[in-house]
Amino acid sequence: MAFALVGLRLADITILKGRVSGSHVAAIVAPSHHRADIVDRNGELLARDLPVHDVYARPHAFWDKAQAAHDLAAVTHTSEKRLKRIFTHYNHDNAYVLIARKVTPDTQDKVMQLGLPGLDFVQSTKRYYPKGRAAVQVLGQTDPDGNGVSGLEYGLNAKLNDAKPGAQVKLSLDMRVQYAVAREVEAAREQYNARAAGGIVMNVDTGEIIAMVSLPDGITGNRELGNADPRRNRMTQDVYELGSVFKIFAFALALEDHTIRLDEEFPIGKGFKIGKYTIHDAERMPAEMTAKEILAESSNAGTAQIALRSGATRQREFLGELGLLRAPQAEIPETAAPLTPRHWGDIETATIGFGHGLSVSPLAFATAAAMVVNGGRRINPTFLKQSHDARGAQIIAPDVSVTMRNLLRYVVTDGTGKKADVPGYDVGGKTGSAEKPGRGGYIAHKLLTSFCAIFPSSDPRYLVFVMLDEPHGRVPVLSLAGHTAAPLAGKVIARIAPMLGMPTTAAVLNRAEEKS
Amino acid sequence: MIRILNFFCFAFVALSCLALYQVSEKTRLAEVSLNETNHAIAAQHSAMSVLEAEWGRVAAPARIQRLAETRLGLSDAPAVELSSLELLPRRGESAPLGNSNVRNASATAPQPRDPRIRLAAIHTGN
Repeated sequence: MAFALVGLRLADITILKGRVSGSHVAAIVAPSHHRADIVDRNGELLARDLPVHDVYARPHAFWDKAQAAHDLAAVTHTSEKRLKRIFTHYNHDNAYVLIARKVTPDTQDKVMQLGLPGLDFVQSTKRYYPKGRAAVQVLGQTDPDGNGVSGLEYGLNAKLNDAKPGAQVKLSLDMRVQYAVAREVEAAREQYNARAAGGIVMNVDTGEIIAMVSLPDGITGNRELGNADPRRNRMTQDVYELGSVFKIFAFALALEDHTIRLDEEFPIGKGFKIGKYTIHDAERMPAEMTAKEILAESSNAGTAQIALRSGATRQREFLGELGLLRAPQAEIPETAAPLTPRHWGDIETATIGFGHGLSVSPLAFATAAAMVVNGGRRINPTFLKQSHDARGAQIIAPDVSVTMRNLLRYVVTDGTGKKADVPGYDVGGKTGSAEKPGRGGYIAHKLLTSFCAIFPSSDPRYLVFVMLDEPHGRVPVLSLAGHTAAPLAGKVIARIAPMLGMPTTAAVLNRAEEKS
Repeated sequence: MIRILNFFCFAFVALSCLALYQVSEKTRLAEVSLNETNHAIAAQHSAMSVLEAEWGRVAAPARIQRLAETRLGLSDAPAVELSSLELLPRRGESAPLGNSNVRNASATAPQPRDPRIRLAAIHTGN
């Protein structure tokens, strides 16, 4: 019996304890991060938990509490008054008070060099964003306990917290592109003295957001989702009547329903009368224009006639299919729902045709425009890197999508978007200059200008949407989108296209010839 | 016979105890060593984590651009591709550009801002 017990004990020590020891090792080696890293599509670090310490003290152990409060406040940059108060108030044996949270190793060393008794350091983590301002509104932030409170930190909170130690969440953002877009948008905002500006770069086949910029930027208040914060992400949180860029949808619908021919002429000159209202154009237009010219020269009167051919019900259904009548479904939580008209009659159909009467977020608009040019298939915007073509159900016929690409190219070569052209990149696009709504109607001198660009238009890979809020040109006509947003889009494309590995038009045409 | 058997059994138990003690002691020392190594690994992991984050900060495009402009006198390149590799002539090909239209350059290279670079260009005859 005794020998059997000795044998069992030997087996227990040599076999069972050995296994326990192995698991113990794994637990120690595992990194101490609590929240997964966030990296961009190329693996560039965007957010990481870094080891820091919370400093605690037992005031009872201090001989000279006033001096201890003075020294600790100076080193940890906390309030000396607060420390004096809590040292006096909590002066019993078991009192244990917080001096400072999340101090860096440097500060920890300085605290230790004070040589004070009764100090304790509790390991903690601090979320660090190495790229600083870049994409700050998209990334969001965490609270002191490490939980996301805004942006993707909030939207991906469960994914970030549940990830295995050392795991990374790979975003669709490309920080090189993000920086280039931010720089160009900022330069344009300064040049035109605009109140705000923004830009989105999206892959039209996957819905990936490659870059998203909203200026002014900065750290936003904790979960302050309202419109009061000037640093909010205007690309997702705000909704706008975007103006003539919306004509893309009026034309896509008309072509889809075969209600127009591109060479069909429409009366324009004196405006288009609907009920007691007359729709005029901002600039003088010819007496008659073909449908193609209406889009190229951005005629409101012409587009209103085209929109009315489809009718209110069909327009509503079509815009709904493009996702413009609901908030975009993306990982970022701050997405705004559109403002739709209460009564969707003929007048609303006409005005929505040229981008007034329906307010959508720039993200929702960009996603819908991408669906028009990507072969007509549904995509969802995403901030996570995708490895495959994510196009879903067919919404628009493929040949209509091809026609729309050609039309957008025509707008850039022969219409209002000439300043967006970039040699070698076959840019297509549409301008939008919307008067902003105010008390008693629209304010003529307050414009929201935008440009929706695709490149290369023969086989689009990327969509660039840029927006300027109240830009000021030297004269009013130079504040229009063709002179403000269009050149901005061109500059953005010229910078980012080589980064995205886009071939020139010549190479694309050569490949097409070889295929045929 | 039983005494001899008991003697050997006790001897075996005693030797087993000694061997067990030795193994236990070796294990304890190995665990101490392992703990030290693990702590060193954890410390290195932590340091690497901080260094990677620091590298992310110093390699940020905004900082690189600022340094390139202030220290090297560089500026934004006209990022327009004027041609592509597919247009380069193949060996023995009679039409050097594959009968494609030659696109005229619409972009001009920016002048360096740093006067030292302009001076160097003059000295080298460029």
